[in-house]
Amino acid sequence: MKLQGEYKFDGPRDVVWDLVRDPDVLAKALPGTQSLEKVDENTYEGKMNVRIGPVAGLFSGKLVVSNEVPPESYTLNVEGKGGPGFGKGGGDVQLIDQGDGTTLMTYQGELQVGGTIANVGQRLIETVANSMAKQAFESLNRSLQARLIGEAEGVEVEYQAPSELEFASGVAKDIVGQLFSPEYKNVWITLVVAAVALLIGYALGKSESS
Amino acid sequence: MDVRTAKKKFIGQRITRNEDPRLLTGQALFVDDVHLPDMLHAAFLRSDYAHARILSIDTSTARERTGVVAVYSAEDMGDFWQEGPLLVPPPTSVEGAIFHKRGQIPLAKDKVRHAGEPIAVVIAHSRYMAEDALADILVEFEPIDPVINLERALGSDAPLVHDDLESNLAAHVVQEKGNYEEAKAKADLVISRRFNIDRGAAAAMENRGVVASWDDKAQELTMWDTTQAPIPIRNGTAAMLGLSEHQVRVIAPFVGGGFGPKIMMFQPEEVLVPWVAIKLNRPIKWIEDRRENFLATTQERSQVHDSEIALTRDGRILGVKDIFIHDTGAYDPYGMTVPLNTQCHAMGTYDVPNFYTEVKMAFTNKMIVTPVRGAGRPQGIYVIERLLDLATKELGLDPIEIRKRNFIPPDKFPYEHNIIDQAFTPLILDSGNYQPLIEKAAAMIDYEHFINEEQPKLRAEGKYAGIGIVAFIETTGVGPYEGARITVGASGQVNVVTGVGTQGQGHFTSFAQIVADQLGVEVRDIHVVTGDTAQFHWGTGTFASRGAVVAGNAINAAAGNVRAKILKLGSKLLNVPEEELELAEGQVRVADLPEQSISLGELAVIANPLRGTVDPGTEPGLESTDYFGPQYGATAAGVHAMILEVDPETMMVEIKRYVTVEDCGTVLNPLILEGQIQGGVSMGIGNAFYEQLVYDEDTGQLLNASFMDYLIARSTDMPPRIEMGHQETPSPLNPLGSKGAGEAGAIPVPALFAQALENALADYNLEILETPLSPNRLFELLHKKEN
Amino acid sequence: MSEFATVTVTVNGTEHQRLVEARMLLSDFLRHELGLTGTHVGCEHGVCGTCTVLLDGESVRSCLMFAVQADGHQVTTVEGLGTIEEMHPLQQAFQEAHGLQCGYCTPGFLMTLLPFLEQNPDPTEEEIREAISGNLCRCTGYQKIVEAAKLAVDKMAAEG
Repeated sequence: MKLQGEYKFDGPRDVVWDLVRDPDVLAKALPGTQSLEKVDENTYEGKMNVRIGPVAGLFSGKLVVSNEVPPESYTLNVEGKGGPGFGKGGGDVQLIDQGDGTTLMTYQGELQVGGTIANVGQRLIETVANSMAKQAFESLNRSLQARLIGEAEGVEVEYQAPSELEFASGVAKDIVGQLFSPEYKNVWITLVVAAVALLIGYALGKSESS
Repeated sequence: MDVRTAKKKFIGQRITRNEDPRLLTGQALFVDDVHLPDMLHAAFLRSDYAHARILSIDTSTARERTGVVAVYSAEDMGDFWQEGPLLVPPPTSVEGAIFHKRGQIPLAKDKVRHAGEPIAVVIAHSRYMAEDALADILVEFEPIDPVINLERALGSDAPLVHDDLESNLAAHVVQEKGNYEEAKAKADLVISRRFNIDRGAAAAMENRGVVASWDDKAQELTMWDTTQAPIPIRNGTAAMLGLSEHQVRVIAPFVGGGFGPKIMMFQPEEVLVPWVAIKLNRPIKWIEDRRENFLATTQERSQVHDSEIALTRDGRILGVKDIFIHDTGAYDPYGMTVPLNTQCHAMGTYDVPNFYTEVKMAFTNKMIVTPVRGAGRPQGIYVIERLLDLATKELGLDPIEIRKRNFIPPDKFPYEHNIIDQAFTPLILDSGNYQPLIEKAAAMIDYEHFINEEQPKLRAEGKYAGIGIVAFIETTGVGPYEGARITVGASGQVNVVTGVGTQGQGHFTSFAQIVADQLGVEVRDIHVVTGDTAQFHWGTGTFASRGAVVAGNAINAAAGNVRAKILKLGSKLLNVPEEELELAEGQVRVADLPEQSISLGELAVIANPLRGTVDPGTEPGLESTDYFGPQYGATAAGVHAMILEVDPETMMVEIKRYVTVEDCGTVLNPLILEGQIQGGVSMGIGNAFYEQLVYDEDTGQLLNASFMDYLIARSTDMPPRIEMGHQETPSPLNPLGSKGAGEAGAIPVPALFAQALENALADYNLEILETPLSPNRLFELLHKKEN
Repeated sequence: MSEFATVTVTVNGTEHQRLVEARMLLSDFLRHELGLTGTHVGCEHGVCGTCTVLLDGESVRSCLMFAVQADGHQVTTVEGLGTIEEMHPLQQAFQEAHGLQCGYCTPGFLMTLLPFLEQNPDPTEEEIREAISGNLCRCTGYQKIVEAAKLAVDKMAAEG
């Protein structure tokens, strides 16, 4: 399936570039990562817990960076395998200086999955993949803030990555968010208003009778 | 009136089932209910890739895990590893037939050929632990491009599923009747179309399972297996393990639905579990889970047809030509049963003088194809019924009229088609009377009234309602044979044992009814045993709608022999000629003098003396074993009609009325028959509109391996009532006059849906040339038409 | 390493206490720990309804519960409904109407219909079909299950 999107980082491009090439930062940005090591200049290997709907398990994977044009763009290729199946994908990433101290990251890629994830997780894969990417970026962004503050104040700032539970609930919210999309908004507003009206009516009724 | 037959008639009665109380109170034994001391559990590592070379398998970590007793891969199997047998030989009698046998393998060796193919098996103290260990097994794959699309499979640049073959062509069979090209030259109208038919699953509620237990002291193997063929499993398993048949007992207890895939034999799991049981000298249990069932239990239906029909101006069929590719999946152990059935049903109920059929069977990287309720017949019926419907549009005839003009007339039976069928006998339709079937169905559904009055009224209200009516045959009751042994016990209870298994079709009752008619014993006092090779070990199994016909007739023959013995001995003891005796209420007695009677139980004891002498040639007790093998399969027929409404925005379909008129010869138990037809129709509705196994063309992954995404019809998807009409044209091929009915409900439904939907959406002038459909697919077809 | 927990649960009126893996499903607990094999397993992902039992009188899918979640609760399985000699009117109705063929999905239907019919003693056919729309049957096409439910309405009313 196709993956694409963008994210705005609150920091300059060269700092963002360094961040995304730092395995320790990356490991923290994706909770569930048990290990991530640099094997050589362009290759990382690691293990990560993945959950997609009813399917969960430990994946071993390899990440290869290529076509680097620092600090503008690079290509990423990923291969992962585990109990729940396998995944293979790749994409191009671009970092664009917004001119106001922020950086826009855009990405386009493809992901092929097989095994149990493909058998039972079809409807969720795209949502989960995009959600994981978004959460990872948010985490990276906070890591970026910590680094910038640290640089400014001349100290190292501890960055607290979200727990696996927080991460999972974030993904779950995104899945549910699909349900509560704009088309459904009016229905929900009506229901909420009705519920509130009932509650007020009930409260008034109670206060009158007492 | 023949006074020797029982006074009360049991065949044809709506008798409630003997087996129900046990099933209803949770006291029935299914394979997963078997619990043996020291039992271990198996879990299979299955390929995530549809097509890949295996570079290495590392099971060392898995072996170390707590709770794991053993892990086996192909290498560990040693000499026991062998390609599975060919279960159904190819039609060598057909001139020029090509067939390449490739049997299923127990565990993948150098290559995996479909997603879900077993690679290794873990044996552990619990299924939970065994599944944990699966994640420890490291397999290195080199993925290969999978072959999914049928035409591409046969193309010259397709990757090879079997590297030792030149192409993915598994078989090629041409059959002819008359001369189609000559007929075509004389035709007023020729219609050609391509039909695409895709896969569906049987999806019985009970998944497969095997329990095997080896008694080392007695040197005996006992297996509980969800199989439809316990006797061949016993014989083949014994042979594979180097045992004699008498050392192996296979029990098919209560089985939660078969529908075809459970007739597939020597499936990898079925072969490995007993082998491991002997190797470890511990009972081993393997129970399939639902995802495994979707991936690795056999499936059916996918074919691509290029079909043609040649007709006269007034709708008479001059000839039919059908060239198709049949998808056999990664292996072809079941021979050509399914495509042969398709070939034999592509002429339907009609008098077709010229017929050309050519099938190319292709290997693909999908699960193997073996019969699923209908077993290739629905595809053949889909082709002929669709061709006729397309012709009606060109010729301005209605669907009923064109069928009536082409039905085989009743005086032409037995009707010979000159092609051979799945049992390698020439396709001969033994008996039938088709015109009354369609007339009855049309009357039951008020066809004329709907077309002339109701439909226009609904259309004016903005509703899209449509009607369909289709006819079909079903070849049933095929050989080779079945057998039965009947024994009258000292208590008067009659014991019936036969080799077939039962998966819900009511054998414990319908078979008892046959015996009851012969022996005058109540159905509740007749105890039927099926599916236990220790009790009866000759026969093949339950498939091709043959249980009631073939086993039923064997039972009838054996019961007749027992009746003869009863009369002979009764006559001697009561000192009365046999002609004056009757069998009723569990006794043999003088008609009109009921005091002169002996209960059958007493007679059985007398027939088995503990002392004294017997005349030479006497068989002890009141027992008989007999067999029945038909000359060829009997052909049942039917007509289904349906009124549905389509919502033009959501494309959801509501079936308003559903009518079936079935002719399956003599009916043993109408209650059971109704159940079979209703169940078949629900499967047909699923096949036609809700179910499709979706394989990704690029990766070969099965994308909907769960009930969340593979939609089986629910109670709210069914019509409010299936109205059933009936006709009995007895078969001359067996003494009971019966024909099979197990698959009939499912066979015509996809063709019926197509006609009814085209009728409902007539404004759009749709042509439906594929099955299964679905709301979104219908939406796509409609929008393609609009643009 | 798996975690263990003690489960104390009353099933069909009898209290049982077992030490089991925390991840053991209620369906497996009933079938294999307690030997009550009347409850069957069809899909293990909560769609087919074959594994339906009663938890404190309400129909639940036992494959979607862990045994530990039943700790301190009352469970009723099909074995608690009636015996071969004395079937519950609902079971009798199923036999009379031929509401089962292979019987595998049947306990799930019984445990879905029981509370439904007790709470809705006079349902329409549409309501019955709706009530069982979460139970899959591959053999019957549902028609005779609906007829069995209707027959059970009369039988259960007669019983009082």
